Amino acid sequence: MKIVLASSFVPFTNGGGRFIVEWLEQKLVECGHRVERFYIPFVDRAEDLFDQILAYRLIDLADSCDRLIAFRPPSYVLYHPNKVLWFIHHIRALYDLWDSPYRMVPDDAGGRAFRNRLIDLDTRAIRQARRVFTNSKVVANRLARFNGIAATPLYPPIMAPERFRNDGYGDEIVAISRVEPHKRQWLLLEAMRYVTTTVKLRICGASLSPPHVETLQRAIADHGLSHRVIFEDRWISEEEKVERLATALAVAYVPEDEDSYGYPSLEAAHAGKAVLTASDSGGVLELVTDGYNGIVAPPDPRALAQAMDRLHCDHALAARMGAANERRLAELHIDWPNVVDALTS
Amino acid sequence: MKVLILNNAAPFIRGGAEELADCLVQRLNATRGVEAELLRIPFRWEPAERIVDEIVLNRNLRLYNVDRTIALKFPDYLIPHSDKTLWLLHQFRQAYDLYESGLSHLCSDQRGAEIVRLVRKADEQLFATCRRIFTNSPVTQGRLKKFNGIDSTVLHPPLNDPFQFKGGEYGSYIFAGGRVGDGKRQKLLIEAMRYVRSGVRLVVAGPPDDQAAGAALETLVATRDLRGQVELRLGYRARDEIAALVNGALACGYLPIDEDSVGYVTMEAFAAAKAVVTVRDAGGLLEIVHDEETGLVVDPEPQAIATAFDRLAGDRRRAMAMGRAAKELLDSKGITWEKTIARLLD
Repeated sequence: MKIVLASSFVPFTNGGGRFIVEWLEQKLVECGHRVERFYIPFVDRAEDLFDQILAYRLIDLADSCDRLIAFRPPSYVLYHPNKVLWFIHHIRALYDLWDSPYRMVPDDAGGRAFRNRLIDLDTRAIRQARRVFTNSKVVANRLARFNGIAATPLYPPIMAPERFRNDGYGDEIVAISRVEPHKRQWLLLEAMRYVTTTVKLRICGASLSPPHVETLQRAIADHGLSHRVIFEDRWISEEEKVERLATALAVAYVPEDEDSYGYPSLEAAHAGKAVLTASDSGGVLELVTDGYNGIVAPPDPRALAQAMDRLHCDHALAARMGAANERRLAELHIDWPNVVDALTS
Repeated sequence: MKVLILNNAAPFIRGGAEELADCLVQRLNATRGVEAELLRIPFRWEPAERIVDEIVLNRNLRLYNVDRTIALKFPDYLIPHSDKTLWLLHQFRQAYDLYESGLSHLCSDQRGAEIVRLVRKADEQLFATCRRIFTNSPVTQGRLKKFNGIDSTVLHPPLNDPFQFKGGEYGSYIFAGGRVGDGKRQKLLIEAMRYVRSGVRLVVAGPPDDQAAGAALETLVATRDLRGQVELRLGYRARDEIAALVNGALACGYLPIDEDSVGYVTMEAFAAAKAVVTVRDAGGLLEIVHDEETGLVVDPEPQAIATAFDRLAGDRRRAMAMGRAAKELLDSKGITWEKTIARLLD
């Protein structure tokens, strides 16, 4: 089949939004499909939102491929008679973040009309797809709630999961992701003030915000945590990631109301490690069940500290939950053959 | 500096412009202090009204987090950006020279005329906002001057992998590389082989524009009973294979219809010190293929082309001398990536 993958992007930024597209591309090619990938620029702002959406709608791919698979907004407005969506999120500032400081336009008559216009347009464009998959239940629920559209979660796997290994359970809880306020590495640091065992915390990741990195570094110094917290404030290589996870006691991933379970949770599972997360972490809770393949704690430093101590005191528990986490992936069919099958059938 | 390259794309089709764009990104990324990425926007030009959509589409896109754009073609160069350098590979010829010569799909009725006017208006507005305008050849430069009154500087695209084309033996075949399609007239090369007396062979290698283009060549070779004299290697071939075919050829043959630029096929031949056989209406490559000096330029007729092939096969020393002259001429132009990048970033 000739398949076009289309998504939006901001030039010179990397991240999950590209991984999901490029990893899928590789898998589709392995399965014998011919694949062409397009990233179309998109700037998330009110002043020319609809102008840009019009541009997307005008792109004509109807005759040039057998199937179109679209990802980030507003790529779902692209027209194709055989369109499948792997929908990762809405233009959130006009959807679920409406009642938040991120709201894109004022909550007045004009702003609400603007919002309704987008929702109406989205609903019609998304309905033109033959199948709608999402990356999580959270996003599927939003499609049902805002657009009245039934969608199926199709959990994105990671690339080459077999490279991860498990060398046993050391004394480090490892947190690898971008370092941003909403990823809440600061909450893990706070928790480290209250641990009573010799458990250690390792934070790895780059940040778009140097001041935030400084805040974290200052917190480590101010609270005298430098002997128990290792902070690698840079983008670590995939090889380094494998090493860090191989000897980890467990993985901590406590984002604030994330849409999907997040690649850090999957990487933990492939390395046979349990996930420590927070009860308000959103999509992570679709993967992690408290006491089975990880610990779900309230987003409170003391509660998280207690969970860390528990893992450190009971390596057998950490090992048992780590093994369960690996099984959990199979239970949820988080694998590439399942994804390729769904998107090409 | 974050540099975004803007290019069009016809899905699933790759040609010289795609190779150039990829190479440009690579070379920019190898430049200190530069980060480069390629933006490809799907482009469709039929039916004629589609052109209006394309103009609106590209004008409506927005860029963020980009310091400099380098745009290569219509209509991608219409994407708004405040720091844009144009390296024009060709204009939308259907609205310019091809329209004037009646070869455009924009028919000469009222509607066609309006679309042509629209394209020219959009171009005019865009050219006024570019920080610099380069063209890839004197042909493109001349058209831009003639139709839009815009001055530009010629910046020849260098070979992407010049190290592969070192030359070698002068074998017993003429090599014809490049995309396969009516615009490149491989059929004419094959027809010529009916009249060849010297025993020189023809090897054609490259990706057909579509299935029909490849099938047409195969049928022609079969019906003219030329299987012994013509070898077809259709489809996308590895660069190593193409380079080996060029390096081992007696000479190269390339007969595009009024091509805009010198083109890679000719530059590869010259880099490998091979003379090029071409025709009078081949366009841009005539800038460096000079009759009896760096190749043979004949009428676009099978017999004339066959005679040229036979002359080279019959006087191999002359073929080699013209090949060496071709290499010297190319080298004297100093077309390197280092200089090209410096000018584009200027």
